Amino acid sequence: MNLVKNHILVCTGGGCVASGALEVSAALKKSVERFGLSEDVSVVETGCLGPCAVGPVALVYPDAVLYESLKPEHAAEIVEEHLLKGRVVERMVHRSKPGQKGAAEIRESDFFKKQVKIVLKNCGVIDPVRIEEYIARDGYQALAKVLSGMTPEEVIAVVKRSGLRGRGGAGFPTGMKWEFCRKAKGDPKYVLCNADEGDPGAFMDRSILEGDPHSLIEAMAIAAYAIGAKEGFVYVRAEYPLAVKRLTSAIEQAREYGLLGEDIFGTGFGFDLEIRMGSGAFVCGEETALMTSIEGNRGEPRPRPPFPANKGLWGKPSLLNNVETYANIPVIMLKGDEWYSSFGTKKSKGTKVFALAGSVVNTGLVEVPIGMPLGEIVYDIGGGLKDGKPFKAAQIGGPSGGCIPKQYLNVPVDYESLSELGAIMGSGGMIIMDEDTCMVDMSRFFLEFVQEESCGKCSPCRVGTRRMLEILNRICEGKGKEGDIDTLIELGNTIKDTALCGLGQTAPNPVLSAIQHFRDEFIAHIRDKRCPAGVCPELVRAPCQNNCPAGVDVPGYVSLIGEKRYEEALRLHRERNPFAAVCSRVCFHRCEEKCRRQTIDEAVSIRMLKRFMADREKRIILPEVRGCEENKNRKVAIVGAGPAGLSCGYFLARLGYRPKIFEAAPRAGGMLAQAIPAYRLPREILDKEIEMICSLGVEIETGTALGKDFTLERLKAQGFEAVFLGLGAPDGIGMPSFNVKNGACVQAIRFLYDYNIGGSANVGKNVCVVGGGNAAIDAARTALRLGARSVTVLYRRTKDEMPAYAEEVEEARKEGVDFEFLTSPFEIISSNGGMCGVRCRRMTLGEFDESGRRRPLPSGEEETLEADQLILAIGQSIDTSALFGRAAVQTNKKNFIVADPVTGQTSVEWIFAGGDAVLGPASVVDAVAGGEMCAVGIDLFLTGGTHAFWREEKESSTFFDPDEDPVEYGRANAMLISPAQRKKNFREVERPLMEAVALREAKRCLRCDYRETC
Amino acid sequence: MKLKSAKDLDALRKEASGRMSIRGDKKRMQIVVHMGTCGIASGAREILNTFAREIDTNGIDTVTLRQSGCIGLCDQEPVCTLQDGAGKEFRYGRLTAQKVGKIVREHVLKGDPVIDYIITQ
Amino acid sequence: MSGAIKTDAADETREKTLDPETLSRLDEVLGEYRSKPGALIPVLQIAQGMIGYLPEVVLKRISVGLGKPYSEVAGVVGFYSFFTTMPRGTHLVRVCLGTACYVRGGKQVLDALKDELGIDVGETTPDGEFSLEVGRCFGACGLAPTIMIDDDVLQRVKPSRIRGILDVYRENDKGE
Repeated sequence: MNLVKNHILVCTGGGCVASGALEVSAALKKSVERFGLSEDVSVVETGCLGPCAVGPVALVYPDAVLYESLKPEHAAEIVEEHLLKGRVVERMVHRSKPGQKGAAEIRESDFFKKQVKIVLKNCGVIDPVRIEEYIARDGYQALAKVLSGMTPEEVIAVVKRSGLRGRGGAGFPTGMKWEFCRKAKGDPKYVLCNADEGDPGAFMDRSILEGDPHSLIEAMAIAAYAIGAKEGFVYVRAEYPLAVKRLTSAIEQAREYGLLGEDIFGTGFGFDLEIRMGSGAFVCGEETALMTSIEGNRGEPRPRPPFPANKGLWGKPSLLNNVETYANIPVIMLKGDEWYSSFGTKKSKGTKVFALAGSVVNTGLVEVPIGMPLGEIVYDIGGGLKDGKPFKAAQIGGPSGGCIPKQYLNVPVDYESLSELGAIMGSGGMIIMDEDTCMVDMSRFFLEFVQEESCGKCSPCRVGTRRMLEILNRICEGKGKEGDIDTLIELGNTIKDTALCGLGQTAPNPVLSAIQHFRDEFIAHIRDKRCPAGVCPELVRAPCQNNCPAGVDVPGYVSLIGEKRYEEALRLHRERNPFAAVCSRVCFHRCEEKCRRQTIDEAVSIRMLKRFMADREKRIILPEVRGCEENKNRKVAIVGAGPAGLSCGYFLARLGYRPKIFEAAPRAGGMLAQAIPAYRLPREILDKEIEMICSLGVEIETGTALGKDFTLERLKAQGFEAVFLGLGAPDGIGMPSFNVKNGACVQAIRFLYDYNIGGSANVGKNVCVVGGGNAAIDAARTALRLGARSVTVLYRRTKDEMPAYAEEVEEARKEGVDFEFLTSPFEIISSNGGMCGVRCRRMTLGEFDESGRRRPLPSGEEETLEADQLILAIGQSIDTSALFGRAAVQTNKKNFIVADPVTGQTSVEWIFAGGDAVLGPASVVDAVAGGEMCAVGIDLFLTGGTHAFWREEKESSTFFDPDEDPVEYGRANAMLISPAQRKKNFREVERPLMEAVALREAKRCLRCDYRETC
Repeated sequence: MKLKSAKDLDALRKEASGRMSIRGDKKRMQIVVHMGTCGIASGAREILNTFAREIDTNGIDTVTLRQSGCIGLCDQEPVCTLQDGAGKEFRYGRLTAQKVGKIVREHVLKGDPVIDYIITQ
Repeated sequence: MSGAIKTDAADETREKTLDPETLSRLDEVLGEYRSKPGALIPVLQIAQGMIGYLPEVVLKRISVGLGKPYSEVAGVVGFYSFFTTMPRGTHLVRVCLGTACYVRGGKQVLDALKDELGIDVGETTPDGEFSLEVGRCFGACGLAPTIMIDDDVLQRVKPSRIRGILDVYRENDKGE
């Protein structure tokens, strides 16, 4: 029965009618008739579909394709191509923009389009409490076919040939299991169904029991016939009251209709079924424990062998499969093994149902051919992650499984591929996790689960997992020790080898796989006492502060602002980050990303509050200094006066050092001065903070370049005891096909430098900028301000994958910057000796690559864009070889400096490094953090002690009443001057908050830093 | 009713599928409310009752109201599938009593699908 | 158990009120199941369904009725988390800490419930209204985080909505 029909919804809202929708509708109806599709396609006139500007529009279901700007003459083409031949007429498809309805519907429909429903074919279609409806959809036909024309051996042969494997966990071939049981000696034999779906996160069995209970009954009857049993039990967990109810009523109806009981269909074969309810013990999902439980005992597992096929329930041969496995049987019998094995991969046939849950847009049950790439399940069917967050990992297989990180989004989901990565298919729970999930905490969660559910019979499981849990608890509490990771791995492997039952043997999997893929996160907990995801309470004072690379006390200064204590607020900020005013302009506010206020409405406008606070600084506020005479006399050199170098100087000065900074450019500030345009960061703001740092005793010498004017050895010879390298990543990465020496082609970083430092830059009439990062956007907006007639950003992926800050992209767009996504230039076209255009390849997104994004691939289409200047912004690097001379500072594959993540020390003990030169192009606040870290590292190197007094947690002195409900008003956003007013000049774009607004906004903070003190 | 042979089963299948199919009856419409645990947790029972009430108060006698299991769209629960007289299917999600009222008024009575509430087909 | 309820006293009073009718129904069940293999667990489930929990007197009756040693009956009761020998509150609140709910904030929901009810997991409020327990997956993962109050599964629960949710039950009880 084909329930899916096409229909065309023609918008007959006011706008579309005005542009001719009724004529289009009439033409479509006529074409449908002409192609003889009247039975299958219906043309419906509906209300407004939304995109009136491109009307008339029509929406074709089930694909949910929206066609735009239709004319009556298009009708025949759409009907013939799309409805008859199934080919979407791309040319006329509406290009939906985010936030429009069309986009949402296309996504929704992918949810079904990519699925293949075999097991779930009846779920949601039939009324589960009416046996007639099951029978109407060929129910019990398979049983009839088997009983009236097949021998048990033939049935087993079909199951074997179908390639069906157990859907409950390990994926044992079902046909073989049946055969063992058929051949086993003993009487009576039992057919059992494991419906104790205990894996948290999996609920397909529940759905089948609730939505299609007869398919299970029919399958078990077939199995009974095949192995020679007369009696069966379904073991259902007690948490599923509705499933029990529906299965009970289905069994009664089947008896009534003679489909259970004696002499079914007059063939002499008899079979009956009973339900046994679990009582809340996870271990009963293990096959031997399940049987012990049906026998009425404590559900403890028994050692195997003997296997249940020989000695199972009450010591008799027993066949145990889970619900989903059984649900495949009737359709295999009816449609044949060949049909079934046409789905799936070579070793894993058919479909698998997954319970998609966690941080994914479309949560629910999905049935897909085995072997579909993980990324397709997550993005095409699941609709991607909630709130557009990046994918971190998928946990597959529950407490016996493991996690798959983003590098493997392309892995085909089948039994073998998953176990290679340390996960298992399991029963099909698939939990999608974003960066807010801590993998250490997740491991702890699963071990807690296993600890609680361990039946205690064998000591590897009972004691071993407790030991592992204790270690993980310690790590989460910030008391982890070196060697903990190795101990966990060792313990895990021992448990795997020695535990009695499947539950125990697989219990360490979640931990082992988390360590395998997320070792860094474990290290961050153990060594840095940091939980990057902001989850572990002992390590996280407030999520905003935890997510700030510089560790600024966000709730502290926000609440001080709320009490009008602006000076104290600024002082508190500068405890950890000297660049309060700079960061209030350019920081990408990772604090706001994690703001807990988002669970109520939106994040607190933290950056704008900072801006308000920084703008009020009239007299320069200097931080606390705890110096000593000795430090004053020690010579420390800093190379590079960017945010990393300046921060390092700032924190060293607060310990009494008098560091000297050497800067190659004519002015200090690094990227802040050279690259970031003044409309984002007015230069007097930057200068004020640099001046503040200098007033602490930091000396800056500009126009002095490492490798040219001095060497590291010479610094040493001059008596500098330690050197900090804050070199940044000042060199643009080139593209082989473009010669940057050719005047029409320039590096973004050079272009910005020329204007920001030199005061002028050559700019074309029609400018193309290549790249998707912040440098690309800065260059594009600067080019526009310098008089370019058109500026187009070319990016080889789509908007969703752009690394640039979304708000910057949006403002650029408003100012008139064009974007061509999925476009990659490869050749400059010249005429009369000048550049006149650029040849581009159109790209499409292919498989997922190691960054977890879809790889752009040439689509075969090419295009020429008009352009007389090409600005390259595809990445930045640093040429260290020219700088270091004979000093053996170690660098990595990408030529960035290798430095200790805790002290910043390089391979040369007196040289330290931080910021972009170590991390690759990162953010200002990352550079601040790197500078601070190295200041502490250098101090430790010189004095043997740590004196970073600013790192001590400050107790908040602001008032907070925890019993009061949060204030109810929404977020105060930044006000911008209009694009028309700003796009031709370099005036600061953003306006500060008014005092009254700022005070209100500060009160929105939920004060996650608050702790009961008693 | 005992089915004594495969033939009996086949006869019942034909009869039942005739009853289930509504293609022959142009006016007959069918509304299926999906009632798995997820659906019920989100209020599917109340949705079923609201449909019944709305159909009753509007004096509609051309609609069959049925329940069924989960269709796997947890995120959209409660969900119903409406099959119109021509056999076309519409799926409505995140139902509320208010939405049900509008679906009955617009779609059931006038034949205009409520596009805003449709999740997919 | 930090004395949130005077369990012994409450246990005794309720035990005394086990009326003869309930006991005779229990005997009926025992009679029906006596000859069935594997009857112990279904009988315990039925008994708990009738009485709400499994006091010692009931376990003894079941032990005699099925001809099984008391130690075996008690051992089975102790093994399965669904069986309880303590009276529970009028409403049983269970917070799902299955993976999906955990990822979507089940732990915060549990904390909010503990705060609101003033009890820990496994305890009952002094007024006998609510008991709090932790569950492992109710199979409604798509709607995480979930809690289950009696037989109702409540979806997408936010810590801030806990009070409102409980108030509905409180109001209903007052109304009765």
